[in-house]
Amino acid sequence: MLPSELEQKLLEHANYFPRSEQAILLCLHEVQEYYGNIPPFALERVAQILGVPLNHVENVVSFYDMFDRGEPARHRIRVCVSVVCNLMNKQRLLDAIKKHLGIGVGEVTKDGRFKLIAVQCLGACSEAPVFMVDNDTYKFESEEKLYEVLSKYT
Amino acid sequence: MRSYPNILNIYAETTLNLLLKRAKKPKVHTIEDYLKDGGYQALEKALNMSPEEIIDWVDKSQLRGRGGAGFPTGKKWKFAVQNPAPRYLICNADESEPGTFKDRILIERDPHLLIEGMIISAYAIGANQAFIYIRGEYPAGYYVLLDAIEEAKAKGFLGKNILGSGFDLEIYVARGAGAYICGEESALIESLEGKRGFPRIKPPYPVQYGLFGRPTVVNNVETLCNIPLIVGMGWEEYRYIGPSDYPGPKLFPVSGKVKKPGVYELPMNTTLREVVYKYAGGTLGNKKVKAVFSGALDCFSAEELDTPMDYSPFGFGGTGTVIVLTEEDDIVKACLDIAEFYAHESCGQCTPCRVGTHEQAYLLKKLIEGDATPKDWEGLQFVNKYIQPTSICGLGAVAGRLIRQTMQKFPEEWERYVGKIKEVAYGTS
Ligand SMILES: Cc1cc2nc3c(=O)[nH]c(=O)nc-3n(C[C@H](O)[C@H](O)[C@H](O)COP(=O)(O)O)c2cc1C
Ligand code: SF4
Ligand code: FES
Repeated sequence: MLPSELEQKLLEHANYFPRSEQAILLCLHEVQEYYGNIPPFALERVAQILGVPLNHVENVVSFYDMFDRGEPARHRIRVCVSVVCNLMNKQRLLDAIKKHLGIGVGEVTKDGRFKLIAVQCLGACSEAPVFMVDNDTYKFESEEKLYEVLSKYT
Repeated sequence: MRSYPNILNIYAETTLNLLLKRAKKPKVHTIEDYLKDGGYQALEKALNMSPEEIIDWVDKSQLRGRGGAGFPTGKKWKFAVQNPAPRYLICNADESEPGTFKDRILIERDPHLLIEGMIISAYAIGANQAFIYIRGEYPAGYYVLLDAIEEAKAKGFLGKNILGSGFDLEIYVARGAGAYICGEESALIESLEGKRGFPRIKPPYPVQYGLFGRPTVVNNVETLCNIPLIVGMGWEEYRYIGPSDYPGPKLFPVSGKVKKPGVYELPMNTTLREVVYKYAGGTLGNKKVKAVFSGALDCFSAEELDTPMDYSPFGFGGTGTVIVLTEEDDIVKACLDIAEFYAHESCGQCTPCRVGTHEQAYLLKKLIEGDATPKDWEGLQFVNKYIQPTSICGLGAVAGRLIRQTMQKFPEEWERYVGKIKEVAYGTS
């Protein structure tokens, strides 16, 4: 069993679609939101709840980019590195993050607060360079604004 | 109502006031906003028509799919209803191609237009279950849709016996998780079944063998948002919007080096030049346009700015995505971004696509860094062509296309890098 709050949400997802196995991505999102990554022990429970074999869950997790098996963090910063953000100089954004948090792509801050992830187009290209912190989407306007935004995530 | 994740204030403008009638304003429009504007009246009208008649109207409207391929929507629906029920309707909201952010604003700002479009479409094709598959990176849109569906249920527009018509429909919202390939319709279906997003070999097409093996219509968000317009005004009037061969409103997400990036709703007899100069305000710093990328698909040169934004063989086509590059930008470096996108997003099922997309990006990087040999340059051109005929799905089919086009249209840009190879290889430097 997982913590009851998480367990509850997974069961809700499992009952949402016409077929329970359809809820696998919703469940994995929920797990990641809870732990900051996808811990192996959670996969067994997801498999049980959805009534699918563990190797199926494993197979799915490894296909989808948003699911992270690596080091967890409390918050995930996703920086778009696709063509438009690159034309609009996404490097400024990566540099500002490096300067402020001391992390590069794939790294976690020492206090476990942030993880920096490079992603393909976030679908907000008119606002390039674009980044997300957890579920929130932002435009990079200036270093000061960036630090102000990040300070909201503790 | 819950508070949503931070939503970006994307600029939107319309000359037609149809798809963006409300969505031009950056706010989440509730069902009350929508009803005040005559919302759900097209649904009432549709429920008093026969499904066959609606399909016939959509066919006569000449609406083409807005998800990229431009397939006639009425034809797709006709194929689907030839196959026995149960059938499913899927809304493709996976929008992940670089430069594309048109479906996002429809979902985040006017979810009921989409939901009304889906109810009418489901009624027309005889589906009692419908799904919206939204990309994982659109969490705000996901929650907006969940709330809007609850609102619609509470008013009797969804659920059992909709408006007393005897028609039942449930709409479910599924989230993707960072895989562009899940926008390809058969990969989307696999993903919606709870599996890896591996495209299926076609035929059979989804209208024959789709979700759980049943006949399934997959339509883009923007396509479905056109349905209430067609039913509401009638197909004859709809045909008067824009050019007669390519009627209807079209959304163009414009980004890159322009003064007013954003989403523009325009008729399809607009030219690319008008999109860039008249609507998007021209280029930053008034630099010369060098190229326009239609997402990761095609490349247009400055000589081709009079291209019409339609689905004709020489039209702009695709999703309508406009990425503007100016004289300051390096085409070859932008091609590397495109190559990396495809390498990152290949699902890995077909070996030439899995290996070739990475090889293409690797060789391109080597070329840019000045480390390429003549053999690498030959190799780059070989992989670029070889992926296409050997791939299961459209991703492999186009993974080399834009890059190949730039080689034809911008030989001097490539020569700058290719020249360096020669220097290295023949020791002339
Ligand atoms: C690699 C790939 C990615 C695609 N991504 C999307 C997408 O994100 N959204 C979309 O609507 N269609 C996408 N398509 C097109 C779909 O396969 C399908 O044609 C479309 O959803 C049909 O809807 P329409 O007829 O309304 O355009 C993609 C196709 C390919 C080959
Ligand atoms: S062409 Fe590429 S993306 Fe498409 S199925 Fe094959 S490997 Fe996957
Ligand atoms: S290219 Fe960065 S958001 Fe689209």
